[in-house]
Amino acid sequence: MGGLKRKSSSNAKTLAKSKKKKGPHLPNSILKVIASQKRPLNSDEEEDDDAIDSDDEHGGDLYEYEEGVPEEESRKNNRYDRHDNYDYELPEDFEDENVESEDDVNSENDEDDDRHTRMLQSLTGMPSAAFEGESKSKPVLFTEAYPEGEFNPTRDVLEGKNVLTEEDFLAPLEGKPGYHKTSKQIARMRKDTKHVVHAPLPKPQRERLERKAVIGLVDGEFSKWVHLVKKNREAPTVYFNQDVDLGYSTVGAIASEFQPRTEFEKKMASVLNDSEVSEAHRDDGARLLELNEVSMEDHIKNRDHIAKMRSLLFRHELKSKRIKKIKSKTYHRLKNKDLKNSSLGALLDPEMAKEEAMRQEAKRVEERMTLKHKNTGKWAKRMITRGLNVKYDGTRAAIAEQLQMNANLSRKMNSMRDGSSSDESDDEEELNDGSDEDTASRLIAKAKEKTLKTMEDDGVPNAGLMSLPFMARAMKKKNEEANEEAKRALEEYEEWENSGGENSKKPVSVSGRRVFGATAKVEAPKESKKDSDNFYDSSDSDNDMAGIEDNDMEDIRDNASPAKNTNRNITETEKFDDVAGNPASKTTFDVAMFTSGSWKKMAGCKNTESKKESKKTRVPISRDQDKKGSRDEESEDSESEAEQMVDGVLTSGSKETFEIPSQAELINRAFAGDDVLDEFEKDKEEVLNLEVPKPEKPVLVPGWGNWTNIQRKIGISKRMVMEHEAEEKERKLKLKTRKDARLKHVIISEKVDKKAEKLHTTTLPFPHTSKEVFEHSMRMPIGPEFNPSTVVRELNRPEVVKKTGVIIKPVKFEEVNPNDEVDDEHPRNHQKQRPKKKTGKRQGQVKSKDESYKFLIPWE
Amino acid sequence: MEVALEDNNLMENVLPPDEQEIDVDLEAKEKKYLRGEVANLESLKDKKLKTQLASREKLYGKSAKAAAKIEKWLLPASAGYLETDGLEKTWRIKQTDIAEEVDRSSTRNQYDIVLPDFGPYKLDFTASGRHMLAGGRKGHLALVDMMNMNLIKEIQVRETVRDVAFLHNDQFFAAAQKKYSYIYARDGTELHCLKERGPVARLRFLKNHFLLASVNKIGQLHYQDVTYGDMVASIRTGKGRTDVMEVNPYNGVVALGHSGGTVTMWKPTSQAPLVQMQCHPGPVSSVAFHPNGHLMATSGKERKVKIWDLRKFEEVQTIHGFHAKTLSFSQKGLLAAGTGSFVQVLGDSSGDYSRYMSHRMEKGYQVEKVMFRPYEDVLGIGHSMGWSSILIPGSGEPNFDSWVANPFETSKQRREKEVHLLLDKLPPETIMLDPSKIGAMRPSRRKEKPTRGEIEAEKEVAIEAAKGVELKKKTKGRNKPSKRTKKKKEMVENAKKTFPEQEHSNIAGKKRRIGEDAAAELPSSLKRFARKN
Repeated sequence: MGGLKRKSSSNAKTLAKSKKKKGPHLPNSILKVIASQKRPLNSDEEEDDDAIDSDDEHGGDLYEYEEGVPEEESRKNNRYDRHDNYDYELPEDFEDENVESEDDVNSENDEDDDRHTRMLQSLTGMPSAAFEGESKSKPVLFTEAYPEGEFNPTRDVLEGKNVLTEEDFLAPLEGKPGYHKTSKQIARMRKDTKHVVHAPLPKPQRERLERKAVIGLVDGEFSKWVHLVKKNREAPTVYFNQDVDLGYSTVGAIASEFQPRTEFEKKMASVLNDSEVSEAHRDDGARLLELNEVSMEDHIKNRDHIAKMRSLLFRHELKSKRIKKIKSKTYHRLKNKDLKNSSLGALLDPEMAKEEAMRQEAKRVEERMTLKHKNTGKWAKRMITRGLNVKYDGTRAAIAEQLQMNANLSRKMNSMRDGSSSDESDDEEELNDGSDEDTASRLIAKAKEKTLKTMEDDGVPNAGLMSLPFMARAMKKKNEEANEEAKRALEEYEEWENSGGENSKKPVSVSGRRVFGATAKVEAPKESKKDSDNFYDSSDSDNDMAGIEDNDMEDIRDNASPAKNTNRNITETEKFDDVAGNPASKTTFDVAMFTSGSWKKMAGCKNTESKKESKKTRVPISRDQDKKGSRDEESEDSESEAEQMVDGVLTSGSKETFEIPSQAELINRAFAGDDVLDEFEKDKEEVLNLEVPKPEKPVLVPGWGNWTNIQRKIGISKRMVMEHEAEEKERKLKLKTRKDARLKHVIISEKVDKKAEKLHTTTLPFPHTSKEVFEHSMRMPIGPEFNPSTVVRELNRPEVVKKTGVIIKPVKFEEVNPNDEVDDEHPRNHQKQRPKKKTGKRQGQVKSKDESYKFLIPWE
Repeated sequence: MEVALEDNNLMENVLPPDEQEIDVDLEAKEKKYLRGEVANLESLKDKKLKTQLASREKLYGKSAKAAAKIEKWLLPASAGYLETDGLEKTWRIKQTDIAEEVDRSSTRNQYDIVLPDFGPYKLDFTASGRHMLAGGRKGHLALVDMMNMNLIKEIQVRETVRDVAFLHNDQFFAAAQKKYSYIYARDGTELHCLKERGPVARLRFLKNHFLLASVNKIGQLHYQDVTYGDMVASIRTGKGRTDVMEVNPYNGVVALGHSGGTVTMWKPTSQAPLVQMQCHPGPVSSVAFHPNGHLMATSGKERKVKIWDLRKFEEVQTIHGFHAKTLSFSQKGLLAAGTGSFVQVLGDSSGDYSRYMSHRMEKGYQVEKVMFRPYEDVLGIGHSMGWSSILIPGSGEPNFDSWVANPFETSKQRREKEVHLLLDKLPPETIMLDPSKIGAMRPSRRKEKPTRGEIEAEKEVAIEAAKGVELKKKTKGRNKPSKRTKKKKEMVENAKKTFPEQEHSNIAGKKRRIGEDAAAELPSSLKRFARKN
């Protein structure tokens, strides 16, 4: 028992602790009341009370007390067991868990509660209801945020525990007049199940039902369209030219419908329709003058108006004169700024436009580089992280504005681009025209600097893909190459620099050839360098640099070229040869291209020679026969006529031997000499070998896998033999599938005629999936030469017949018999042939009947 | 005996329309106009396509039906025939017997023109059969209007004439002479001398392609486009000298007969023969094609005439004991063969070709060439003593289509026709064994990819071409040498770019394959993380 007590007390302790911290701070008076209520209940159990008292100064802790009792009573064995293990003290900071644990205990002990009440009942002899309320109210000690009221029902009410019933309402009325009636009414109401409003179904269930109903409805609605849609889909031609009302056809028709609306129009109409005026026109016109009278008032008005205009003009003139005289710089600057700001200024002044474009471009570039407006700034980041942009409209707007700005700035600008490119070239020209030598030397210096820089910074990155050993090796190699190139380039720059100095006094004379050579020279190293750069990190900035360099280079070329004399030219070509000789360098090709035509020619010669050779190898068979033919030709030219005549006589002579039975033998004997069939077979084999080439036999080539005696013994490797066998097999299969495979006396060439390939389709045209069906469908010509004129039009009718300007309206419902076949023979001919002049009424009728626009858009 | 030549009498009693409906052979005619079987639409899965095709087929059927119905009026005349009673044999009937039976105008087509001095004659008819060209070996060229037997022009070229051929109409003709071949106008003026071909042995004109094909003494086959005079193809046959050449009217394929007994078929776009057939053990003496292009007749020096089916390249029939120096098919499919002074006509009324008619000329006449006159039941025979004309009932097509070939053509119509023909001219690559395959799917190629060497060579050529391009002179500033070089370089680069690097593509393919494998190996839950290519 002592152990139990300890447990309970410890429990109570923890609870009390939690209470101290978290529970509501009840006023003392209430606590006292509670205590006084408890006292009589537990007056018998003094031990417990003592325990409580000893634990708690207030002594009236509700929870502690109740928990202790049921545990003692109900779970004895459990308690004992647990008690044994109860050496472990919870840490001091375990309080947070306590609330939960309390709940757990509650749920655990729920079932125990009724037992507990029973026990109480037996002990105290009081009705169970008294305890029940206590036990129920125990776990739900809530602190409501709002005062309890009509609109803030307590939790009990929400949970449906302490729901008010009719009886509750009726109870106070008992004995009052009319009570009987009301109670009766209520009883009747209870019995009446008809008018009872049931609780609504749960939402998902309700929705499911709804969906079911809707599907049924929609299906019904849609399925009635199916036939119509199907019909329209399958129709070979769809017509949209019915009920075309294109409106007025003539100007007269438009004019006749005109109604004056504005004041001016009305006035005009009144004048035009004036009977007096028209009458005057019809007469000699003398009266027109009379009618043309202008009142004094009008005249004065007109005069004033003109005077006003004149004075305004004059003033404007004066003003502009004065403005022109102003010499203040600030004024003009401001004015220009104004003009610039307004897009009008940019439009007017091309120079300004150019400037503006440049500025815009610079801004854009900056934006793209920095992404300043992409909400990457400190402020924007902070705003976003704090979520302030959601809260405050101002912030949000500011951020959105920034984004918009970013979008505007970083958008591709085509119009600007075009302008700028031309500008660039202009600028370049200017540069060239201007201080020639100065820029040259400067640019050379710049180029030098740049090359030095590139030579210097070839640090190997120590992370990522580039740090891999083989990549590093490759990179090193590249760098070395690049360095070599750079060195060469540097040398050249120096040369130029020197020559530039010399040249400054000399008159400039440019010969195209030289320039060409120089270009090649500079271009080669530069390009390679660029390549190497891009190979490693192709960032935008790098490219830009390259671009700049490019321009520089061009200038250099231009300036440096005249400085060269032939002597140097020769040395340069030598140098080129050196470079070209180096197979590893990437520039070889470029250089070779420019050094001289002889290289090219050489290559060309070789090519042609090789081609010739190949041709030769191909031809010999046919040539053999040609020779034969030519020999024949030599022998007979003029004699041939006589011979033929003789031949004819001979044949006529042979006619007499027509009946001789040994004729066949004779012929056989006659043709015995030339074994034609054998020859043909050989020919066929040749052709087959050409078209389906024989695979090469595996041979042991001395020196290749043929070094040792063992190797020799092993012979040709198994793999080679296998491959050869497979190839042989393939060839056999190919030969088998040929058209002439089974025809001994025929060779059918299966070479593909490239020229004729364009006469075939490579792919099946869209809706077709079967080759056979497609080819069958193409078998009939559809032109007027091949078909009776009655069918030609139908055969060639387009898929959609529509007049321009006709609005295609959505399909309208129309009953269609699903069993009707697609009928193209009379495609609404009644519509097309309908005479155009019809009364509106009839047209309307027809319209209502035949308003069946096609539904082309598939909805499934 | 009953002889009926084709009657061009239009006033035949025509059946009333309702009776015509019941006509039994209407269906057969309809089938003819349907041009083949309807495809099996049931195999199609696409319902839309199915219905579309079905409606299309319906239209075709309608068209065929209408055409079959109209045929009665469009093709009013029926072909001629020769009927015998009892034991009489058609091949025993002589021309004199026929002459007694037929009308006067037809008897005018039985004649012999004796020109003994100018040697064996070659003949050619225009497509309409109105004009005939006769070329005597000794240099006599004659252009004859066959309708009124009017000699239009006669010239003596004073050298050997080996062959003659009309071009697209009677206005021009070509003659293969001793050294060169020439093209003459109707009035005998020499228009062209075709030196490139050398001494030509045979000349043929391909009407639809406007190609003049010739084979010369050294066995070279030449195709020349007569519209613009270009030599479309010159092919070395490699089979030696030949003077046997014929054009398949169906597809324009030229067949040559060789001394080794082979017949080779050629088209201008390939240097190798389309087909080589070993037809005879001895030399081939002549070749002829049926107008529908399916049948070929060859005769060998070993006294055999063979008939071949060109769809299967198989022998259909061998006629023994008969040597033909010259062979010719008529429009209706009769086969005429000439040897010595004897001409035999074979008919295929019973399926196989058998004797239909025969004609023996005066002794000593050596037949050089037989040729049926189109749209007439007439066979022209060129021989050593001039030329002759005999009646062969049922040989010619009774109805002519004035849009195709009009014997009664006026000069205006002729001019109109000429323009149409030129507009409808077919390019030489349309000559193929089966022209019905044009527009169909391309037959699968065995070898699609060019080899690497070929690609390299092509690349080299492209680069050379790019280098050789002359740049235009641009305005100041753009014409700078630097700019020009830059441009040129760019062009070369572009030329290179069109040939993708072989290895790279291979590697990429491999990589992808590896990636795919990896994706396939992954467990299903991780598959979504696999890299998508």
